[in-house]
Amino acid sequence: MSRHHRRKQRLKLSSFYVWHRYMGVSAAVFVLIVAVTGLFLNHTEDFQLDSNHIKSDWLLDWYGIRAPDSMQTFPAGDRHLTLMGEHLYLDRKEIEGNYRQLVGAVHSNDTFIVAISHNILLLTPRAEIIEQLQEKDGVPASLKQIGIDANGAVIVRTGHGYYQPDTDFIHWKRRNEDSIRVRWATPSLLEPRLKNALQRHYRGEVLPVERVVLDLHSGRFFGRLGPWLFDAAAVLLVLLSLSGSWIWLKRRR
Amino acid sequence: MLRKLLLLLIPALLCTTLLAEAVYQQPDDFLGETFSANVPEPAVIWLSGERKQFVRQLLGHRYSTLRVRYWRQKQRSAWVLEEVGKDLPITIGLVINNGLLEQIKVLVFRESRGWEIRHPFFTDQFQSARLDEDNTLDRDIDGISGATLSVRAMKNMATLALFLDAELRKQDVASSP
Repeated sequence: MSRHHRRKQRLKLSSFYVWHRYMGVSAAVFVLIVAVTGLFLNHTEDFQLDSNHIKSDWLLDWYGIRAPDSMQTFPAGDRHLTLMGEHLYLDRKEIEGNYRQLVGAVHSNDTFIVAISHNILLLTPRAEIIEQLQEKDGVPASLKQIGIDANGAVIVRTGHGYYQPDTDFIHWKRRNEDSIRVRWATPSLLEPRLKNALQRHYRGEVLPVERVVLDLHSGRFFGRLGPWLFDAAAVLLVLLSLSGSWIWLKRRR
Repeated sequence: MLRKLLLLLIPALLCTTLLAEAVYQQPDDFLGETFSANVPEPAVIWLSGERKQFVRQLLGHRYSTLRVRYWRQKQRSAWVLEEVGKDLPITIGLVINNGLLEQIKVLVFRESRGWEIRHPFFTDQFQSARLDEDNTLDRDIDGISGATLSVRAMKNMATLALFLDAELRKQDVASSP
């Protein structure tokens, strides 16, 4: 092989090496993202990625997650019971479980009595569930309203009359409609500060960290073009491994 | 193609959801069967103070409600308790007779796996179980592979029902003349 030919070969190798380096630098960012997120995904339960939720506003905005604008609120004593989506709150504290159709709420004997999802929910002031009473526990069907009568006792209006529980909420008795004077629970507007706090809390319970890590890993986090970008990075990595091997072989000769 | 795939997938998913909750016996029927249709009036026991502590220690978390309903006739008490296996609550019916577990039965099973705990080959192990002095079951219960969490929930509910029944009997002693 002539000197001129060897020089030409060296130049060719050196130019190939430059390309190899550029490809390496370009792929580095993607390799880092895929490797780090992959490590996290392999240990989802250890890192509790599935049970922890994203609270960051910009991330929630990025995913287009919004709290429902409409919410039902009933004042009870000096507190508020609010249903937002399927989440029920006593002031800012969320009650365990999913709920629908808030009929009303009252406060009596240091207990909050909530008519919701065809059930009667008894709550402590610390938002602990004392008991959730269903039809099988004697709760009358088709609850329409809940209130407090002139004697301070709880009463409900149903599609077929008025009913009152005993003090332990074990037995329900029908009441005569004529002698009833009741202060019924009426919905109210929530003060803006509490509304904002609840909306923030609601949004912070929707998006698990695992979802974001998965989307980062696949590239979906970066929008519609993200997966294509990560596909390109994968191709780049394949080329990188080929070019690296080729350079190594050439240098050995 | 995508539409066809969705048409196939959606009914399959719906079927899976519908199958997820299996009601083996309604709680009312369980009580009727236990007391030969002469079901006593329900009463409640509060999980407060030391009871609350015991339950938290037993389950590793607090029970879903602060008070529990029971039905009692002489020395026999019936309980309908709920505990989460992995993700969803399992409804379990229990009968305690004079401090011994007379019957344990899965009434409603909502989890996607672990339903084998409803079979007699498993529940028979609890027959006549009682609590030791340290409030644990007096015997080892063999597990079922693939149903570890459901087995644990069942064992915990058996212990809880026996404990609460013992609390009721303590009250009887305290209130007797």
